[in-house]
Amino acid sequence: MSEREDFARDIAARAVEMTDAEQTEAVVAASDVALTRFANNRIHQNVAETDVQVSVRAVIGTRQGVASTNHLDHDSLAACSEAAARAAASAPDDPDFPGLPEPRAVTQADRARDTTIAFDARSRALAVRSIIDQSDSRGLTAAGAVRAATHTLAVANSLGVDVAATNTGVKATVLSSGSHGGSGWASFTGPDASELAAPALGDEAATLAERSADPGELEPGRYEVVLAPEAVADIVDFLAYVGFSARAVTEGRSFMSGRTGEKVMSDSITILDDALADHAMGPTFDFEGMPKRRVALVEAGIAGRPVTDSYWAARTGSDNTGHALPAPNPYGPMPMNLEIAAGDATLDELVASVKRGVYVTRFHYVNVEEPVPVVLTGMTRDGTFLIEDGRLTRPLKNLRFTQGMVDALCDVRGVTSERRFVGSEMGASYVPGLALGSFAFTGQTG
Amino acid sequence: MRDTLEAAVEAARSAGASYADVRFVDTGTQEISVANGRVEGVESSASSGIGVRVIAEGRWGFAATSLLDTDSVTSAAREAVEIAKASALVAADPVRLSDVPIAEDRWEGPCDRDPFEVSLEDKIALLLAADEIMRAEESVSLTKAHLGFTRVHKHFASTVGSYIEQRYVESGGGIVAYAVGEGDVLPRSYPNSHGGDWRQGGWEVVEDFDLAGNAARVADQAAQLRSAAPCPSGVRDIIIDGSQIALQVHESIGHPTELDRVLGDEAAFAGTSFLHVEDLGALRYGSEHVTVTADATVPGSLGSFGYDDEGVPAQRDFIVTDGMFTGFQSSRESALAIGRVSNGCMRADGWNRIPLIRMTTISLEPGEWSLEDLIADTEDGLYFETNNSWSIDDRRLNFQFACEIGWEIKNGELGRMVKSPNYTGITPEFWGACDAVCSRDQWRVWGLPNCGKGEPMQVAHVAHGASPARFRGVQVGVGR
Repeated sequence: MSEREDFARDIAARAVEMTDAEQTEAVVAASDVALTRFANNRIHQNVAETDVQVSVRAVIGTRQGVASTNHLDHDSLAACSEAAARAAASAPDDPDFPGLPEPRAVTQADRARDTTIAFDARSRALAVRSIIDQSDSRGLTAAGAVRAATHTLAVANSLGVDVAATNTGVKATVLSSGSHGGSGWASFTGPDASELAAPALGDEAATLAERSADPGELEPGRYEVVLAPEAVADIVDFLAYVGFSARAVTEGRSFMSGRTGEKVMSDSITILDDALADHAMGPTFDFEGMPKRRVALVEAGIAGRPVTDSYWAARTGSDNTGHALPAPNPYGPMPMNLEIAAGDATLDELVASVKRGVYVTRFHYVNVEEPVPVVLTGMTRDGTFLIEDGRLTRPLKNLRFTQGMVDALCDVRGVTSERRFVGSEMGASYVPGLALGSFAFTGQTG
Repeated sequence: MRDTLEAAVEAARSAGASYADVRFVDTGTQEISVANGRVEGVESSASSGIGVRVIAEGRWGFAATSLLDTDSVTSAAREAVEIAKASALVAADPVRLSDVPIAEDRWEGPCDRDPFEVSLEDKIALLLAADEIMRAEESVSLTKAHLGFTRVHKHFASTVGSYIEQRYVESGGGIVAYAVGEGDVLPRSYPNSHGGDWRQGGWEVVEDFDLAGNAARVADQAAQLRSAAPCPSGVRDIIIDGSQIALQVHESIGHPTELDRVLGDEAAFAGTSFLHVEDLGALRYGSEHVTVTADATVPGSLGSFGYDDEGVPAQRDFIVTDGMFTGFQSSRESALAIGRVSNGCMRADGWNRIPLIRMTTISLEPGEWSLEDLIADTEDGLYFETNNSWSIDDRRLNFQFACEIGWEIKNGELGRMVKSPNYTGITPEFWGACDAVCSRDQWRVWGLPNCGKGEPMQVAHVAHGASPARFRGVQVGVGR
């Protein structure tokens, strides 16, 4: 991968050299992404794209400006650098801006796989055919996508930051649908195309679709739930979006605001962000080139610390955890390698522990209604079942939930030992299944 | 540029494509954002490239490159053909397209004053002025203001023989004041939430917003929300303002009438639709007060163009007529699948994406009421303004929306303010409960610059015409 990284680093270094600003940062993102999409048991979209984005941040005093381009010739880079410097010159002073960060040692990780780079259109089509066969042979209809990506990220600045990394990712999704209202879902996310077991993925979705045929009604109300990892990922992603940034905490918009060290969730819940873990995906540095640190966001139910970038570290007088997004960033720092710590149960054991409740394969179209208690609303889909006396007894029509997630995570009845990646190679959450004591279902699709 | 595009068309044909279209897209943007008196971002971007879409061996293939020399573009054309041939490894009926007339044309959107020629200093000053007014309100602890501008220049060539050049400029912006405390984060936005309002047009669009002139009202309402009562729970008659009607139309009429969703092409990601092909002309979508159009010819709307990204001319079509479902939004492929021709709804969000069926200007046509008369005609109800949260199921039936602010209506008059109102419903039942729509005096087009669809994800700029409307017997205060 050094050739790709050298290429990206060279562009970043050239861009940094081109401005006459007092400080300059360049972020180069080179990507090769191909995606084969299928529906109705046929491939209906099949695309490939190669692009290189260069983003330049110029700093004059405490003023900043950003410009980006996807053209790499000298004139285009010069125009981009000039635009960034012009924007900085027009901006007012920002007394809180601490300047660009000084270089720090970054732990490199080998996260590119040749098998993924070689996963071409024919390989993707064959994987799709294996997935479709599992549904087609049972009279079901398959839809989904098989995607392969290689990303190289390089960050340089005029203070000496100079880092680059390449990572690969494969993602496959399958929705299998039957004519009697049943549907099932399965997904795979990982760095290595050779680990994609396409027939097994197709079988998992098709089996769930058969099992969920002829779904019935359930009266809205509070139920125990068992959430499969895909559903849990939505919860932790929204906790991060509204609650785990130093900006949200500082502005009083987070459930963690003023509660560091307090019990906020069940003892069973530990939430980390750890880009350095062996199993993690994506780069080990952020978009300022700073090393990503392992951060305990919630540890055994106790509120830990939020993530920071150079600006919010300086604003809050804390250290920089390496969670900057690309500048300019109105969201604040953000965790991109979330994990919920594993427990010791199997998903079957979680179901067996429930007297009467609901099993959820995944959620759909989740959104925030109230940020501080993280009240989310959304729907279940592709495999929702009633649990009675420890068994999945009958499939259910999709249910709407309206639930405060911090409250829900205060009553955790079980956590699975097996975890799954949900997301993409640039930011996947690694999560177990959960059993929760109370979850509010507020409606149902007719 | 024309020579390069036509070389790519020819390269695709030579490599075995039975159909090819080639799009060059050059997009420039500028975004300026302010928060709590601090300029958070001044950013510009430039992105251009060429995307080649082909049918070979009866299957689709697409490849895109940012390299604009003829060798790179013709190489992308050949790669697209190879990808299409790989698609043929999975058996399927060959792709067929409805007819399209040959077009040789240029189209340009409105723009009185080029916003990219307005100085950054003026833009920043405008935002800081509005922000300062909002911060003068003590109870407001967080303020945001932003402006955004986009310019797009596109060329299209296809094996049909068309060559089309289009240019347009979009301008948008907005302000928001937050009252934060005691577990609440209460936003109040103007002219709309989630990115403000957007139109095709230049600096005149921003001047028309008058952000500073509305900043004090926005901040005052945010402050009042701190002490407002929670929205009551139960079944109520509700009146919804135009901006929220726009999103209601978007989610519960716009998306479910996209023919690719109906045919299952988006099943695994965004979902399908409760509609079936045979519902056309037979299904009652709403009450007789509900007429909805899809119109790509509305001047100054984000949903307008001369031709879609398949070279189909812009059109106005009826989606719902007096409550009856009468039209899909379609592409050349999906339209032919139901025996029709495309009504021109295919758009891509850049050079590196394939066109998908995207909304144009999907509008609830105006009725006869004034808002004042409608409130006066409501004995016991609620009035809601400005979206705060949205969610809808994968068949576009079960929805739930939260708004920024509401007021009780008692005996025909607006009463006390309520905070964090929400409502839920099932699409045809909800539209069936619409008994009044306000008139053209209160009807306007709202721009939505953030409609996500497809894999890889594409973000479309769409629009909705709407005025306030009333709905009887709606579940409100869900989960409260």
